[in-house]
Amino acid sequence: MEIAAFASFAVLVIAWIVLPIRTGVPVAATKAPSTLPEAVAA
Amino acid sequence: MEIDSGNTAWLLLSAALVMLMTPALGFFYAGLVGKRNALSTLLHSFFVLCLVSVQFVLWGYTLAFGPSQGGLIGGLDWLGLAGVGQEPFPDYAPGVPHLAYMVFQMMFAVITPAIITGAFAERVSFKAFILFTLLWSTIVYAPIAHWVWGIGGWLRVFGALDFAGGTVVHISSGVSALVAALVIGRRLNRTEPHDATMTILGAGLLWFGWFGFNAGSALAANGLAANAFVVTNTAAAMGALTWLTVSWIHRGQPSALGAALGAVAGLVAITPAAGFVNIPASIVIGLGAGTICYLATLLRPKLRIDDALDVWAVHGVGGTWGAIATGLFASVAVNSAGANGLFSGNPELLVKQVTAIAATWLYAGVMTAVIVKVIQLTVGLRVGETDEVLGLDRSQHGEIAYQVD
Repeated sequence: MEIAAFASFAVLVIAWIVLPIRTGVPVAATKAPSTLPEAVAA
Repeated sequence: MEIDSGNTAWLLLSAALVMLMTPALGFFYAGLVGKRNALSTLLHSFFVLCLVSVQFVLWGYTLAFGPSQGGLIGGLDWLGLAGVGQEPFPDYAPGVPHLAYMVFQMMFAVITPAIITGAFAERVSFKAFILFTLLWSTIVYAPIAHWVWGIGGWLRVFGALDFAGGTVVHISSGVSALVAALVIGRRLNRTEPHDATMTILGAGLLWFGWFGFNAGSALAANGLAANAFVVTNTAAAMGALTWLTVSWIHRGQPSALGAALGAVAGLVAITPAAGFVNIPASIVIGLGAGTICYLATLLRPKLRIDDALDVWAVHGVGGTWGAIATGLFASVAVNSAGANGLFSGNPELLVKQVTAIAATWLYAGVMTAVIVKVIQLTVGLRVGETDEVLGLDRSQHGEIAYQVD
């Protein structure tokens, strides 16, 4: 069980090192409402 | 019988920790819904805390923990907490007042229907929600709690293990959530989480409260409580790390919400096992929770059931994995009152665990379908289309979550 535990964590650490982060993904446009009617209508 | 002040203090503090989990769940859920439903979603959890607190002292406790009626449900001997006082009831918790044990159990009864509210968020009428919570707590929660934890309960006698509520709390609520979402139908419009920071705050508070949930279930301030505390923390951490990583592999980016959901999945999965497994096993259980529950969320679009906040994927599937994992990793070296699991040479426990899982899935699923259908045919389940578009905060409560000037 100890080996499985160490291996589990090692797999995650390796993944964090090798995985690229996909950048440039557009986030859904959000505009903070400035008035209460606008907030309710949004 | 003499009162053990240390054990009593720990149990009362644990009850307070578990109490905090229900408003925390409200924050966790409220961040995941659209801003027009944030307040109503928070209120669902807060209201359940109030409603079940009263239901449990009046009839919930006696149905769940009263003298067994054929192993299926408790008798009415403790109706209104008659006979439940400051003296210990040693069959449940020696050395602590019966009232302390009762209030600890009450907090479990509170949070379980609150978990289900995530499935029908953003469209259920408040009346239907109240009726559902009362009926579900009485007809579904109380019998299952009795089966598993009540003296003479058939699953307890059978030998199935559930340290802190994997079947009683998480499978029952997760499966019921799926059924309720199926009957109530899909939302008119899917919304995006309106405040991820609120969800992460809620997850952090849930994690904190979970120490009472799991370590408190030792019912004593002892080594078993310490074991439950550490495996709980470890599984939560591994669940978060794993979900974040799997979602990173799948979607190309590490998700903050994924870390929060993964922590909860890890906490759910370790719940039935916390008093029976060691620390290395909790790492594997957390890893499994982060992976399996993430994959289960991918099923939601395919199932075409609008379980709005993935209650089934996190609690139903996570609880099932935890109950199976208990059958795999349990060891009497951790808890002599438990049993060995498959990896300690006892396949019989795994069979018992699967039986308990199947019974809980079946009973919770069927009875929830009946309850929801009855409500649908009487007072109705959903708000009208206009009210749903307007949002439940305004249409059901005449309030809004955020004042913007």
